[in-house]
Amino acid sequence: MRRFDHLNATSIQEATSALKNKSAVFIAGGTDLIGRLKDEILPGYPELIVNLKTIQGLDYVHEEGGLLKIGAGTRLADIAADPIVRLRYTALGQAAGRAASPHIRRMGTLGGNISQLHRCWYFRAPQNRFECLRKGGKTCFALAGDNRYHSIFGAVNGCIAVHPSDTAPSLVALDARIKTTKRTIIAEDFWDVRVASCTVLDTDEIVTEVQIPAPDVGARSAFVKFALRKSIDFPIVNAAVFVGGGAARICLNAVAPKPYRATKAEQVIAGKSIDSRNTGAAGAAAAADSRPLEANRYKVQIAKVLVERALLECASAA
Amino acid sequence: MVKEEEQNGSEKGVSRREFLTQAGWALGSAALGAGWTPSADERALQAAPEFESKYACPVDAQKFATFEELQAHFATAHPHVAAPVTTLRVNERDYPVQIEPQWTLQQTLQFKLGLTGAKTMCDRGECGSCTVIIDGKPALSCTTLAVECEGKSIETIEGIAANSRWNPLIQAYMKHDAMQCGYCTPGFIVTAKALLDKNPNPTEEDVRQALAGNLCRCSTYPRHAKAILEAAQGLRDGK
Repeated sequence: MRRFDHLNATSIQEATSALKNKSAVFIAGGTDLIGRLKDEILPGYPELIVNLKTIQGLDYVHEEGGLLKIGAGTRLADIAADPIVRLRYTALGQAAGRAASPHIRRMGTLGGNISQLHRCWYFRAPQNRFECLRKGGKTCFALAGDNRYHSIFGAVNGCIAVHPSDTAPSLVALDARIKTTKRTIIAEDFWDVRVASCTVLDTDEIVTEVQIPAPDVGARSAFVKFALRKSIDFPIVNAAVFVGGGAARICLNAVAPKPYRATKAEQVIAGKSIDSRNTGAAGAAAAADSRPLEANRYKVQIAKVLVERALLECASAA
Repeated sequence: MVKEEEQNGSEKGVSRREFLTQAGWALGSAALGAGWTPSADERALQAAPEFESKYACPVDAQKFATFEELQAHFATAHPHVAAPVTTLRVNERDYPVQIEPQWTLQQTLQFKLGLTGAKTMCDRGECGSCTVIIDGKPALSCTTLAVECEGKSIETIEGIAANSRWNPLIQAYMKHDAMQCGYCTPGFIVTAKALLDKNPNPTEEDVRQALAGNLCRCSTYPRHAKAILEAAQGLRDGK
């Protein structure tokens, strides 16, 4: 890695003001950032790294006023092991427990997991070998190149890299709010596709908390993931489903540049009993708008089946 | 046959490596005064080589005999360069080190402290070969900045190997031949030690879950589980 300065922030205010001054980025778990710095894939190299781990009071999980509140600095392993999350916010607990490897779950935070940059082997190739759209270039190399792991729902701002987070679709399915230092954002609107960023956040804006409305009695949620290996790997496709009050919220990820809410599938399953016939129809509806590329047609079938399985898991848990 | 002799050698005779270490210690302990003999654990820790570059200035590469001299040099020669001076607590020993903010913990352990056990393999946090225990939890030292480790307790494979309590784990690895090239083994053993600290009576599923972040290109996975389960038994029996 190239040289940078390092600041242990002791408060949110200190961190945000440090981020205003020079080309600075912040580090929490560091599991995505350090790889990016080693490969030098960012358009500019940061002069200052601001450590958020030294800020007290960003690591908590508790229910309060009809909301589950999770500090942005809470480690994925702690979320996965939390009994309240496992019982009432099952999709999030399962997602936090399936992300990456046990080591990374102990290091990586929820705020970092949802803010991690896209995965695309052209974008992530070391030393900026491919000057793609996400680095201010003019070409998407994956469109004509090897796109077996890329979007099946088209491009956003010309980019077809997928967002790889496991917790993101769970947060969308559970209708979460993401609180930052400047505002509170509905989970669905949190992601964007920009140069060197995958969120709508400003460069000096930090996620501080994730809030999830407490589900009604009888509501269920589930998360399923398809990856090459059981552990370590990013998802080929993942899906999170929330079923409650006769309606469903269904979100897929790793299929598009942003977590993809399958509204057509939600309409198909709304008000119906969750059995294999209806879930099959919902799965088909989830992939109805898909436009696969040359090498990723197989992901359409996986997406259909994952929606089906996640729905059935909600039914069997009821 | 040769293998058996080597194994016996560690109990009955004195192996070449042990002889060299002990000879070195004989000199060292003579200087410290009579009556003090290091334990086997301390000997093993001391066997870690002290690197020549330990007190080299990171800016102009000048070398110094002591840490204090380096600090003094830095204050006068490079007053505007931020170079963190920190103390890392590794295997229950405090090491004063001068580090660069961009150094990973793995680099610092290897090149500053001479502890070569935590290996660089993928260097991207995917394989687990660089696993060390930070404040009781296994973590990837290739993806941890050394500057963020001040005040934390770090445990490496060297510390585990030096602690006779963990002999059953290492013996079980040898007995079950749970390695081929051996490059990933330190990462596996450190992860296993953290698991057994937390859960002295794991099931095979627990072991597999705990090791799910360690990759072995030689694919000795079933043997890891066998060895660790047997080690857990041995540790419970106090062998």
